[in-house]
Amino acid sequence: MPRSHGPGAVFKWTLLAPLFALLLFLVPVFLLQLYFSVHSWTIYLGSWWDAEFVWFDVFQEVLSDPRFGWSIVRSLVFAGVSTLGCFAVGFGLALLMYRPFRGHGLYYAFFILPMLTVPIVIAYTFEMLLYQKGPVNGILSAVLGTDVNVIWLADPRIAVLTTVLLEIWNWTPFVFIIMMAGLAALPRDLEEAAQSLGASRWRIFLEVKLPLLRPVIFLALILRFLEAIGEFPKTWALFQGGPGTATETIPVYLFLTTWTYFHVSRGAAMSYVVLLLMVGIVLMAIRMLRREKRILDRLYQAPAARP
Amino acid sequence: MTRQARRRLFAGFRFTMLTLWLLVVAFPMYWVLSTSFKPGHEWFAWPPVYWTSEPTLDNHRAVWVGETEALRTQEAFSMQKPLLALQHSLTIALIATTLSVSLGTLLAYGASRYRLLSERRMFNLLMLRMVPPIVVAAPLTLYYSALNLLDTVTGLVIVYVITTLPYSVWMTKSFIDEIPVEVEQAAAILGAGRWRTIWEVTLPLVRSGLVATFMFVLILAWSEYLMALILTKTEVVTLPVQLAKYEGSSEGRVYGRQAALAVGITLPLIIIGCLIRKHLVRGFSFGMVKR
Repeated sequence: MPRSHGPGAVFKWTLLAPLFALLLFLVPVFLLQLYFSVHSWTIYLGSWWDAEFVWFDVFQEVLSDPRFGWSIVRSLVFAGVSTLGCFAVGFGLALLMYRPFRGHGLYYAFFILPMLTVPIVIAYTFEMLLYQKGPVNGILSAVLGTDVNVIWLADPRIAVLTTVLLEIWNWTPFVFIIMMAGLAALPRDLEEAAQSLGASRWRIFLEVKLPLLRPVIFLALILRFLEAIGEFPKTWALFQGGPGTATETIPVYLFLTTWTYFHVSRGAAMSYVVLLLMVGIVLMAIRMLRREKRILDRLYQAPAARP
Repeated sequence: MTRQARRRLFAGFRFTMLTLWLLVVAFPMYWVLSTSFKPGHEWFAWPPVYWTSEPTLDNHRAVWVGETEALRTQEAFSMQKPLLALQHSLTIALIATTLSVSLGTLLAYGASRYRLLSERRMFNLLMLRMVPPIVVAAPLTLYYSALNLLDTVTGLVIVYVITTLPYSVWMTKSFIDEIPVEVEQAAAILGAGRWRTIWEVTLPLVRSGLVATFMFVLILAWSEYLMALILTKTEVVTLPVQLAKYEGSSEGRVYGRQAALAVGITLPLIIIGCLIRKHLVRGFSFGMVKR
C-alpha cells in the first residue's frame, strides 16, 4: 500500500466516518446547551421550547452565585491535593519497585487493583470501612491503644479529607504504572556513564533520571488533575455534596442544580462556564505536553542519530 | 557504613513501605469480600468482626438468585434487579466496546497510515474527552428524550461509544504504528485490495493489541456511573446504578448484600485487568510513554 498516491476518496471517508458521526451527534447537544443557558427555564415552567429568552441574565445569576464560585475553588483544591497525593505515593512506590526483587510480581499485581475497581464500589466499600463504629476506627483504636472516634463521613472538615484520601487510594495505581513505564524506558547508558564518572546515586537521580522523566511526570500530573476535576461517583455516593456544602465540587453542584433543584437553565449556564474553564486548562495542558513530548522525542532519537 | 549494610537497610526499608501500602490496598478489598460472607448481625458489630466464624452464602444467593427468606420479607423490590442489571450491563458494555474498538481501529488506521488527521489535531480532539462529562449531561438528557433514547440500551451504548472512542483510537494506533508499512505494501503488490490488506494482514498482526484495547474499553464501559444514572430510569439498569439503589432501600444499610453485589461487579474487572496489565499504560498515556 504505497503512501505516495494516497488513499482513494471513498476509502478515506470511510476511515473518517466515525469522527463525523460523533460530531453530528454531539453538535445538537451543545446547541441545546446554548439554548438553555440564554433562556430561563426550570422543570416547573412548562415545556422548554416556550421558555423565555433572557439574554445573559442566567449567566449573570450564576456568576454571582457564591456557591458556584466555591464549588470551583473546592474542585481545584480537591484535584490539586489529590493529584499531589497520588503522585507522591505512586512515584515513591515506582522508585522502590522498578528494579526487580523477590515478590515483585505479587506487589505489582496488588498495587494496580484499586484502579481496576469500579469507583462506585469503592465508595460503598469505604462507607463500610469508615462509619464511626467501623473497622478503620476499630483498627486505629487497637493500634493506638485508645478509643479512636474519627468522624470520617459526617464532619465537614474531615469529609473533605476523606474524599481526597479515596481519590488517592483509587488512582495511585495510575501514577504508579505510568512512572514504572517511564522508569523502565530510561536509557541505561547515560546512568552508567554518570556512574563511571563517580556520581553518587542521589546525584544521578536528580541530574540524570529526573530530567529524563520530566515528560512522563507532566503527563501523569496533568491527566490526574483533569480526571480529578471531573470526579463524581465517589463523592456523590458518599456525600451528595454534604455535610453542609463541604464536598460540593463542580460535578456535584452541577448535578444538584439540574437534577435536584431542576434549574436546567442555571445548570446549562454553569456548564458553559465550566466548559470554558476546562477547555482553557486542557489547551494549556496540551501545549505543555507537546513541549515535553518534543523534548522526549529528541532525547530518545539523539543516540541513534549520532554518527 | 559498608556497602552491604546499606543495601540491607534499603531492602528492609523497601519491604516495610511496600508492605504498608499493600495492607492499605488489600484491606478494603478483604473487608468487602469478607462482609459478603457475613450474616446480618455481624455487618455492624462493635468491635468489628475481622474474621467471621459463621460464613454464609446468603448474601450472594440473595443478590443473584434471590430465593432466601430475606428477599421475600424485606428487600423484594430492590432485590429483583441485580440479574436484570447484570444482563443489561453485559449487553451494553459488550456492544459499546465492540463498536468503540471497531470505529477506533478505523480512525487509528487512517491516522497511522495516511495521516488523515495530523497527529496534533487528533491529540487536541481526543484530549477534549478530559472535559468532565457532567457539563453536557443536562442537554443530553433532553436530547435523548426527544430522540426516545432515554432509558434504552441503545442510548447508553451510544454515549459509551463516544466517551471511550479516544482511548480506542490511541491504544490501537500505538499498536498499528508498530507494524511496518512494508508488510502491507507486500500484500498490495500481491494484488490485495485496501480492505483485504487491512483485514487479512494488518489486523491479524495487531490482534493481541486489539484484545488488550477491547478489555481496557470494556473496563471503562462496565464501571461507568454518571451517564447510567441520568440516562436511565426504570427499564434499563446497570450494575453500578443497581449497587447505589441499596442505599435508598427501606430497611437502611444492607452491607452484606451490597458487598456481595460489589464482589460480583469487581471480580470480572480484576481478572481482565490482570490479563492486560502489560498494556494498561498505553490506554492511559495516549501514546506518550515510550517503551
